[in-house]
Amino acid sequence: MLSGDQKLVERCLQGDDAAWEAIVKMYAKRIYNLSYRYTGRMDEAEDLTQDILVRVYQNLNSFRADAGSFQSWILKVGRNLIIDHYRQTRRFQPVAGSEEMEGMKIEDDKIPNPHRIVEQNEASRFLGDGLRSLAPELKEAIILRDLEGMAYQEIADLLGIPEGTVKSRINRGRLELTRLLSKRRAQMGMQI
Amino acid sequence: MTCPTIEDRLSEYLERSLAREEMEQVARHLHECRSCAALLDEMRSVLAVCQSFPVYEPDNALIDKILVRTSGRRRTRSLREWASQYFLRPMLTPRFAMGAVLTALFLVLVANFMLPRVSAVASALAPSEIFRTMDRGVQQIYGGGLKLYDKKNEWQEQFTFYKNNLLNRLGFMIERLDVPVEGKKKPGETQQQPEKAPSNESSLRLLPA
Repeated sequence: MLSGDQKLVERCLQGDDAAWEAIVKMYAKRIYNLSYRYTGRMDEAEDLTQDILVRVYQNLNSFRADAGSFQSWILKVGRNLIIDHYRQTRRFQPVAGSEEMEGMKIEDDKIPNPHRIVEQNEASRFLGDGLRSLAPELKEAIILRDLEGMAYQEIADLLGIPEGTVKSRINRGRLELTRLLSKRRAQMGMQI
Repeated sequence: MTCPTIEDRLSEYLERSLAREEMEQVARHLHECRSCAALLDEMRSVLAVCQSFPVYEPDNALIDKILVRTSGRRRTRSLREWASQYFLRPMLTPRFAMGAVLTALFLVLVANFMLPRVSAVASALAPSEIFRTMDRGVQQIYGGGLKLYDKKNEWQEQFTFYKNNLLNRLGFMIERLDVPVEGKKKPGETQQQPEKAPSNESSLRLLPA
């Protein structure tokens, strides 16, 4: 029995453009947000989203349903490209700076509220500063778990490491991030 | 349990994914150790910030770019998107807003000018007034109809009178002209038998059997 995604992939491979459009609409948002959280830049996130989905389109025939879900596969392709991008640019800025967040579409806030946007910008920048100071593997674990909301097993599959290691990385990442942000908050005398 | 051991389990404690016994041990420690309890609170607030991080919607232009680069065609647009593109977006412009404000001002001025008449029109459009007007109209139409009917009867009577009068006069004139009428003989006039054309047909055939 084929799942919805697998049926869409089958149709894509048979040349059905509507099926491909459905896949793009379904995953563009997820990939865009993931890219944005890794890079911290809108323009780079857009470029990465394009590159990832083009790569997915070109390699659709290499997707094997018995090796895992289509979502896991597409996220793996995405993550690999994001890591390649990181290696090329040597710059990793999780979550964006305030000036880039202005005028962006925020899903849970259909009517822009300036006060809310300022608050979100401040909290996001604060969080971004903390994440930037973490080791890449801890940062990645935090992004996938706490920002993307992925399950431990999904993260383990995506990174190709045991679930226990994922849990350990997440715990260490959270502890370091908490200590860093506490220290900065104490220095700035602010609340997050 | 020592503080480093508790720290190793803080995430899982927060997510309540530890075994029941371990959960109780960590809870006991947190109750006693202020620094670990403070760390847990800090971690909880950091997680809250992480989880409330907004989710962004990619621009439709990006979807179009991806589709053009892959399948070579643009995104299928819904009716709402079409309406937004061709009606709502052009409407939500400063020029349209200016036009709308000027139109509203014009309408207010016109309404102000027409206000005394408006009250008269409004009173004329009241249901009771409409009913009265309709009733009056119906009565007038009915009265007109009756008058016409009487007129028609009157004309008919006159016509009959003149017709009868004319016929009587004609009859009288015919009688006075003294025209011989078939069947009547003047005195001293012999009746001549018209000559019958010879016929092959027997006159008996004309008689009823």
